[in-house]
Amino acid sequence: MSWWRRLVRRGEMEQHLDAELRFHFDGLVAENLRTGMSEPEARRSARLQFGGVEQVKEECRDARGTRWLDTTVQDLRFAIRSFRKSPGFTITMLATLALGIGANVSIFSVVNTILLKPLKAPAADRIVQVMDTFQGNPSRTPGLPEFEVWRQQTQIFENVSAYRLDLVNLTGSSNPELLPVARVSSRFFQLFGVPILQGRAFSEEEDRPGGARVVLLSYEFWERRFGKNPQMIGKALTLGQDSYTIIGILSRGIDTEQFGQLPDAWVPFQIDPDTPEHGSFCFVAARLKDGVTPARAISQLEPVAEAYRQKFPGYYTRKFGFTVQPLRDAMVSDVRLSLLVLAGAVIFVLMIACSNATNLLLVRAEGRRREIAIRAAIGGGPRRIIRQLLTESLLLSLAGGALGLGIGFFGIRSLLKFYPSAPLVAALNPINLPRVGQAGSALAVDWRIVIFTFLLSLLTGILFGILPALQASQVNLNAPLKEGTGRSGIGPHQNKIRALLVVSEMTLAVLMCVGAVLLIRTYVLLRSVNPGFDAHNILTMEMSLTATRFEKTAEMDRLVRDAVERIGALPGVEAVSSACCLPLETVWQLPFVIVGRPLNGLSHGMAGWTFISPQYFAAFRVPVLRGRAFTERDNQQAPRVVIINQVMAHLLSPQGDPLQEQLIIGRGMRPEYEKDSARQIIGVVGDIRDQSLNRNPRPAMYVPIAQLPDEINIVNLRLLPVAWFIRTRVEPHSLSASIQKQLRQASGDLPLASIRSMDDIESRSLARQSFSMLLMTIFASSALLLAAIGIYGLLAYSVQQRTQEIGIRLALGAEPGSVRNMILLQGMRLALAGVGIGIAAGFGLTRLLASFLFGVQPRDPLVFIAVPILLTGVALLACYLPARRATRINPLEALRWE
Amino acid sequence: MTHQKSDLPQGTLDLLILKVVTQGPIHGYAIAQRIQQISRDVLQVQQGSLYPALHRLENRGLLTSEWNDTETGRQAKFYHLTAQGQAQLKTETESWKQLAKAVRLILESSEADAL
Repeated sequence: MSWWRRLVRRGEMEQHLDAELRFHFDGLVAENLRTGMSEPEARRSARLQFGGVEQVKEECRDARGTRWLDTTVQDLRFAIRSFRKSPGFTITMLATLALGIGANVSIFSVVNTILLKPLKAPAADRIVQVMDTFQGNPSRTPGLPEFEVWRQQTQIFENVSAYRLDLVNLTGSSNPELLPVARVSSRFFQLFGVPILQGRAFSEEEDRPGGARVVLLSYEFWERRFGKNPQMIGKALTLGQDSYTIIGILSRGIDTEQFGQLPDAWVPFQIDPDTPEHGSFCFVAARLKDGVTPARAISQLEPVAEAYRQKFPGYYTRKFGFTVQPLRDAMVSDVRLSLLVLAGAVIFVLMIACSNATNLLLVRAEGRRREIAIRAAIGGGPRRIIRQLLTESLLLSLAGGALGLGIGFFGIRSLLKFYPSAPLVAALNPINLPRVGQAGSALAVDWRIVIFTFLLSLLTGILFGILPALQASQVNLNAPLKEGTGRSGIGPHQNKIRALLVVSEMTLAVLMCVGAVLLIRTYVLLRSVNPGFDAHNILTMEMSLTATRFEKTAEMDRLVRDAVERIGALPGVEAVSSACCLPLETVWQLPFVIVGRPLNGLSHGMAGWTFISPQYFAAFRVPVLRGRAFTERDNQQAPRVVIINQVMAHLLSPQGDPLQEQLIIGRGMRPEYEKDSARQIIGVVGDIRDQSLNRNPRPAMYVPIAQLPDEINIVNLRLLPVAWFIRTRVEPHSLSASIQKQLRQASGDLPLASIRSMDDIESRSLARQSFSMLLMTIFASSALLLAAIGIYGLLAYSVQQRTQEIGIRLALGAEPGSVRNMILLQGMRLALAGVGIGIAAGFGLTRLLASFLFGVQPRDPLVFIAVPILLTGVALLACYLPARRATRINPLEALRWE
Repeated sequence: MTHQKSDLPQGTLDLLILKVVTQGPIHGYAIAQRIQQISRDVLQVQQGSLYPALHRLENRGLLTSEWNDTETGRQAKFYHLTAQGQAQLKTETESWKQLAKAVRLILESSEADAL
């Protein structure tokens, strides 16, 4: 019989055992009767012959080998009975543990998805991202010539693939829309093992420059746009002005999260092997050959980089090189640290929960001294008692863990729902949480989370249960049994342990609160930082001009003028502008050369580069400090002009007049930029924080759209959709419909996407900061609550234990006030000790948060003053309640209480 | 808890049970009777240690059991030997014979008398 059946069919087993022994006993009786004994005598003799039936049964049960299970089941039954009898204790315990474990589950499920889950790809551990390095800093977006060089390194890589997401208009039907379209090299689908549902992938020929215009559809797009029509292969799809032939449909749910959002359509990259486009970028992923480690790949790439530098003399300095990083690590490198900090924080919460649980168990053990003593007296050895008490702890921690799994997982899922969705071009954007999917949809309860929760619960149960169990097992048999009600004072030793636990809880709570308040301060400071522009009442929308007639600068200029005129005529509109990109989401950086200055290398530096229409500064309310803003007269025929910001003006000529200088922009980046001639600086505007609110403004250059060489316009329009900004006098979204109508009319019905207010964009840019702040605040509040419960519990119990003593004090004439102060002092001594240690530890530990802070020092005095006050206040409240109860003890009742 | 003392040397009860059970399905009461009969009442089986031993042997897979009617029509638990039990009986018999031979040699040798 299997052990499982033996366990489940325990009742039947017992019956059989009973029947077997009874049969034997009856046999003995029958034989005795045969020898002439009377019936009672025969029975008595048989009983003597047989010995103790219960003892035999017990030994048989032992022999069956399910004894440990029987004992456990027995212990569990007993535990459940006793938990039922003390629901207050059980609920407090479960809530404490669910909170502690739940906090850990929530962070672990994010860590699991982002840091631990392997990529969906064959031999995923060998997939790396290949990158340029500048002065040792990796850059995720290499140029196309590098890709060609890497593709040839067959001794290092077995598959090198390029990827880029473009936004292209789906036209040729009554319902145009802006599609994210991925450009990939031909072996990309192989690299990631993307299954093709229908049709085929690109061939090598189709991936060559001038190859056929073919397209693969994503499953989701095929479903949404074509209702899963099975006859799509061979049909045409018009992207921009070009017609593509549909050759395949990809399977559902492919994982390209590593590069940004899921594209709707896939086209061959068609990179020219001799491309001189150093400024055009792509992402490059590769699978290392079997046996090649990333370290070996990096060292093997050194001579390759050297040869590359020599091939383009003057372009690259010795500080330029190549590197690889496992793709998963590269994707998550910028969130790893904040996740680890959060993971540390939740461990603190769990430690506080454990201390509380230990305290609760110690209190409970006091009430159970008689029960334990009786167990010991009737033969329960210390090991047996420890075992039973640990079974109880584990039952609690596993139940708490199950609750925690639910709370933690669904908690984090609902928090992620508030995480803003990805912008159109997400790959370049450091705001998203990688790999978690839309609103955290990629988070799933998998075996890793279940095992994590189970092990954590076990560990927790042993951690908080072992000390009370050990202590309870060392029973003095006499004392508890002699006492009437088991209500003895707690020993000084135990008092010390419990006090120590409370002090450490306070310490951890202080640390958590310091961390949370620092992050809150950071967030508040970031929200109040002056970005240099006025984000209120600006509506933004995006429009892709890729592969349209507007790729010609003159056409685009006409479109902008027309649209500005149409929208400007709408009531409530104050200013209208177009630009290459959205502040706080994308800023291009280009090298510049100051005309007439000695040059050592290719350029005098890098600066932000934005092409704008004349009302840009008016729309953003950026002050023009010197010179003038652009006007309609700064057109294709007029002299080339540029406007710079204050930082750049200072950089160019700290004392002199920047308006005397001329700039050459973009030289060396890619051939298109060589077409741009020198530009006269005509104005200096205020600095704006266009990269992110926590970064100081960097040098910036603005050029008029009307003066872009066509080649540069095409390149830029292919990289990003153009942005429209409309400053309104009313709530910006209220004008959205009429603005869109005008834009569609001006552009010949081009689709618009991503309609947001500039306020939204600003707060979205702080998504990560607000997310970590929110989590940290939730965890710190939990920690504070648990610590307060800890102090309250200790004092409340102590007051109950000392009822008699306090009664005597009151009877002898002690003032209620002095009794109250005595109890308050008892608690506050511990609380203040904890606060003191916490503050000292915080001084050392907040350094770890330094990289997350903005405008506030890790040892911000305000934080280190406010947090102790807050915690002391909370502790005072937690102590006051039991202290007040102490003053209300009725001396007469207290003395009669025994 | 004190351990029930058997009149049999340690470990021999298992061997005797296995031997008795070779003769076919047999219930516990009969095993005790048989051991007593065959040994001509020299060996007294403590009923208290018989059943734990049976259950232990069953648990180790040396015996199996089933419930059947006895000749008197009552239900009883009949044990019989498994293949594994058969093999175990063989090796244990061997080693018991070896032991007995060695003990007898020592007891009967003159050197031992000289000690």
